[in-house]
Amino acid sequence: MSDRVYEILFIVDPNLGEPEVDALAAQIQGYVEKEGGRIQKVEKWGKKRLAYPVRKHREGSYVLIVAEGTGEIIKEIERRIRVTDGVVRYLSVRVDEDLRKAETSKRKRASEDEKKRARMATRPPRPSAVEEVQE
Amino acid sequence: MGGGFRGGAPRQGGRGAGDRGGAGGAGRGNNKDAGKRYFFRRRKVCKFCVDKIDYIDYKDTKLLGGFVPERGKILPRRMFGTCAEHQRKLTLAIKRARLIALLPFAAE
Repeated sequence: MSDRVYEILFIVDPNLGEPEVDALAAQIQGYVEKEGGRIQKVEKWGKKRLAYPVRKHREGSYVLIVAEGTGEIIKEIERRIRVTDGVVRYLSVRVDEDLRKAETSKRKRASEDEKKRARMATRPPRPSAVEEVQE
Repeated sequence: MGGGFRGGAPRQGGRGAGDRGGAGGAGRGNNKDAGKRYFFRRRKVCKFCVDKIDYIDYKDTKLLGGFVPERGKILPRRMFGTCAEHQRKLTLAIKRARLIALLPFAAE
């Protein structure tokens, strides 16, 4: 069974400084690795205004971790994030399936375009030319 | 002459449904009360289909923000003309963005 890809996006307490945010991100990466997942990408978005207050905070630092692994490990990682101080809110989303679907439809469209172009090239000019003659 | 008429015909069917097929053609999207002024109708096309966006990312606040009024509501399809498939994906993306405080649930 192939592994799944998850995006784990979390908001860190805005009162923590840059090094502390880094440390927290490293800690959560550690959770992923300990459970046997692989980190694909880590992105720090920096401090952003929240659309609504979360735990009385009006802003927060966003960190995105893209990880690969089974569903089981996400369960454990989520549990650990929940008990981690400094994380105001988290969201984990499975993305591999949707991305794969997007990829297939993109490929399908490309091949359809190709076919259409090929058909256009072989076909004689459209009857619109004939209509013009009638006029 | 004949050519000009034919050219006009499909346009009337598509756009000018207001004066003739009011009950049938235009009855889907807008309201029954004819007294209300309605904006000049333009054919709306799904932005995601046009731009060939297959995956609507909940993290893309800039994109999602364009489909959400200040109040934070998810608007019905008829407002933006999104196709069913993309409206579904858009809705999911907006809901995810709300969970992580990228978009508001309700007005401040």
